[in-house]
Amino acid sequence: MRIIGPDEMVFGVDDLSACRTFLSDYGLDEQSWDEASGGTFTAIDNTAVTVRRRDDASLPAPLASGSTLRQTVYGVEGASVLDEIEAELSTDRDVVRAEDGSITLLDDLNMALKFQVTRRTFPELEPERVNSPGSEPARGMNNVGAWQDAPAKPRTLSHIVYFTPDMPKHEAFYVERLKFVLTDRFNGVGPFLRPRANRDHHTLFMLQTPVYMQGLEHLAFHMQGPTELMLAGSRLIKKGYESFWGPGRHKFGSNWFWYFNCPLMTHFEYDADMDVHDDTWEPRTTDMGPEASQLFLFENVEKWAPGGKPPGK
Amino acid sequence: MSDGLTDDRPAVRVSAPVCRVEDLPDGASRGFDPLGEGRDTMFIVRRGDALHGWRNHCPHYDNARMAWRKDEFLSGDKSHIVCGAHGALFEIDTGLCVIGPCLGDHLTPVPLAVRGGEVFLPVPYRPGLRPRAGRGQR
Repeated sequence: MRIIGPDEMVFGVDDLSACRTFLSDYGLDEQSWDEASGGTFTAIDNTAVTVRRRDDASLPAPLASGSTLRQTVYGVEGASVLDEIEAELSTDRDVVRAEDGSITLLDDLNMALKFQVTRRTFPELEPERVNSPGSEPARGMNNVGAWQDAPAKPRTLSHIVYFTPDMPKHEAFYVERLKFVLTDRFNGVGPFLRPRANRDHHTLFMLQTPVYMQGLEHLAFHMQGPTELMLAGSRLIKKGYESFWGPGRHKFGSNWFWYFNCPLMTHFEYDADMDVHDDTWEPRTTDMGPEASQLFLFENVEKWAPGGKPPGK
Repeated sequence: MSDGLTDDRPAVRVSAPVCRVEDLPDGASRGFDPLGEGRDTMFIVRRGDALHGWRNHCPHYDNARMAWRKDEFLSGDKSHIVCGAHGALFEIDTGLCVIGPCLGDHLTPVPLAVRGGEVFLPVPYRPGLRPRAGRGQR
């Protein structure tokens, strides 16, 4: 089942204007906007975040928890994959086919899903290049690595993390019905999953929680590399946004991370340099905790440099 | 603490006022950093003459910061305190979570005292940010 990953996340929010400002500050491009109904914001590869009013009747029904997440939109490789998903899931639930061929349904925990032929553009982009002793310089001669004004744009929607009230059931839906692959697991907390048409360590992670917490813990967009992640995060800090966790580097997935609070009332993460896997990978398991979850953790402070007036002056 | 680490740093008596009452816009929230830790570790919501002080810690996660932006601790309609982490709503006067991941839990109150138009912290105040790694090593 050639599902690629999350294409678009749809939210119903209380403060559209604050969300518009945040999504632009985060680095997404405004693709459409209407003062009354909200709009859609895109990363470089056209993966997207859409914000609507919480009471927008066109959105799928909200969760009882009050979560702002209203729909997770998955991109698939082609129309035949949509047929495959429809055939698999219409056996035990309503699957609604739209004129554009996309299908909508609820997963086994009533999270609203949509599947469509992906809106991603798969652009060819420059990686972050690092010069490392013992190897030929990856950036090459006379190429400068530090650029204060680098655009540092989110490249693609990387992954999402659900709070789920029944993790085994939820995991089984994605693994057994949608053929996601387990890469690693935090015991009793949740599985890291990737869909078949994606090499990333995870596009979906879950956290077992009570039912009143159900919703979205965070979403993340991939950045070029750790440098642009730090640059983009530092810019959010300067604009007054609240860093929630990071910057740091995870162990499972190896991705650099920096999480922020935001007016969409979930966390928006920047991530970079995530491991990729194929079917030869053997999943690891460990208990979740501060040691297991990160190599190291930093806190951003204002810029400083040694120097200034000589002593005694 | 849930992570097994210990934070045994003592509470500190803060003698200077955190602000003047007139610095607090009515119906709004404002964050403060009484120990100069570099981030706001508490906030005050003013409603008329009533001031409500709370730690900037959502009870959902240990050390979870709540504002989504500097001084932004209230819901869109200003009726509740909101956590910018996952949208939990809290009553402004009781700190009770009425919807969200920490349903039924309470924010941690920060007692306030007003003297001569200035707002003071009458009880010692504990650091709010994670301690530096390597603390206690030599």
